[in-house]
Amino acid sequence: MHGEDQINMLFGMNPVWYAGLLFVATYVLIMTERINRAVVSITAAGLMILGGVLTQESAMQGIDFNTLGLLTGMMIIVGIAKNSGIFQFLAIWSAKLVNASPWGILVMLVLVTAVLSALLDNVTTVLLIAPVTLLITDTLKLNAYPYLFAEIFASNIGGTATLIGDPPNIMIGSATNLGFNDFFLNLAPIAVVILVVTMFPIYIFWGRHLQAQPELRQKVMNYREKDAIKDLRLLKQSLLVLALVMLGFTVGHSYGLQPASVAMFGAALLLIFYSLPHDSRKQSKLVHKTFCEVEWTTLFFFIGLFVVVYGVETTGLLNVMANQVMSLTGGDRSVTAILILWVSAIASSIVDNIPFVATMIPLIKNMAASFGGGDELLPLWWSLSLGSCLGGNGSLVGASANLIVAGFADRSGQPINFVKFMIGAFPLMLLSIFISTIYIYFRYLI
Amino acid sequence: MNAASLMKPDPITLSPDDSISTAAKFIMANRYRSLPVVDADGCFLGVFGVNCLLKKVLPKAALMDDGLTNVSFIHETLSDLKERFREVENESISMCMQRDIRTLPPDTPLIETLHTLYNNRASIPVVEEGSCKLLGMISYWNVGEKILSA
Repeated sequence: MHGEDQINMLFGMNPVWYAGLLFVATYVLIMTERINRAVVSITAAGLMILGGVLTQESAMQGIDFNTLGLLTGMMIIVGIAKNSGIFQFLAIWSAKLVNASPWGILVMLVLVTAVLSALLDNVTTVLLIAPVTLLITDTLKLNAYPYLFAEIFASNIGGTATLIGDPPNIMIGSATNLGFNDFFLNLAPIAVVILVVTMFPIYIFWGRHLQAQPELRQKVMNYREKDAIKDLRLLKQSLLVLALVMLGFTVGHSYGLQPASVAMFGAALLLIFYSLPHDSRKQSKLVHKTFCEVEWTTLFFFIGLFVVVYGVETTGLLNVMANQVMSLTGGDRSVTAILILWVSAIASSIVDNIPFVATMIPLIKNMAASFGGGDELLPLWWSLSLGSCLGGNGSLVGASANLIVAGFADRSGQPINFVKFMIGAFPLMLLSIFISTIYIYFRYLI
Repeated sequence: MNAASLMKPDPITLSPDDSISTAAKFIMANRYRSLPVVDADGCFLGVFGVNCLLKKVLPKAALMDDGLTNVSFIHETLSDLKERFREVENESISMCMQRDIRTLPPDTPLIETLHTLYNNRASIPVVEEGSCKLLGMISYWNVGEKILSA
């Protein structure tokens, strides 16, 4: 229990009940989406302090600045890099590589989406790939749904593969000191397998029926991908910084360099490259514009959530919940890991996976003593990561990227029906969790 | 002086049932930038103009919110655009007219009317307060003539 001696509750309220009820109310309000989730979380964080569960100083201790720094740094890098046109270039180039064949394009766009989602955030990836997808399917006079469906899956599966691919992984990495290589070596192989397996049903249901007239395919072949590059100099600088950041993630961990430091330094370096050639007035404008691209709503959501979860943890409630889970699983590590995997997946397909993972991290940490130390928790962390990231595929509200794609589909006049999506997506998500179960069991638990 | 004294009453209008093809030919032949659309009772519904034509021949992915910002890689010919136009030319203009148009009531004061016109950069419909009846249109030309002849 953290800072137990600091608890000085308002009106002598019971801290466990107060923090517990506030936590549940926060969850419910986030789920109902009646109020912006960032507003909900910072209000709840304020109430956690005003109620006396935390002091302002202890609340600050609960905020994971490594997660915030990594997210902010990557948002800045992507915000600048996208101005070069590299992402559109990749999408068009990959479509032409397969001679604009409808199924080939679907496969290539899935690959591009998965790789970009592994290296960048999922929302940015789909924001950049979905419009190109709609342009291509419009040109080929094809239904965009199979493409958008496959891209949603690719973004969530690709995001699972690395430390920086999806916010749950960033949070788990930060809380456990697991590095980029740990995530890549443990999650990328299974992410590749799941992506390949997922393509089979997509081919059977849609892929084999996709056909386009040769003259329409020629229109796609007439696209000049090089013209998508808006700023070649910026493209080279962005690629250089991205390569350095990836190198920093890969080797930095051995030298005690946290991912947030690497990402923030990369962001600073790219900001220098981006703004330095201009006069001071233009520099200020470019820097201001870049900072406007940072998703402050997401960052404040995280800040509030960290405080709320830390408040609940401080009261000892999560310890009680961890003990309940242990008694439910009989203290068996394999059962606990598999339970975490499936519960995370189901929960993440219905609710936002960020608050879920924020709650699960301290809960799992509390199990360390029962399992004989922190190292024994590794399968549990991989289960949490796989469940929470892949679970996002289960429904249209399972991940922010899904909603972004649905928004594009809606604006293009081809809305994605919530139930129709779930009928196809939920069983596929369960298939990916089934594959993950086999992987976790055979790689870590026997 | 107010909006009612600046406007041109009884403007030429289109019906929401007019086809895109008919309306487009009419505005092109008379070199209008846009025309108001009213129903059988004279109720103002929106505006149909050249922008609608562009909207129908440009790729949807470039026009949607958060869509493509750079379309320089697309190389299409006029016949490609014509082909795209043919697909929609028989649709009614209600499919593509602009509905979120700023309107003014007839008693809007002079300076507010000019300020709205300046910010809007297009002709402003004057609509009867409390109903949707189109009373007239205020264009840069109407305003320019009034100022010069004052």
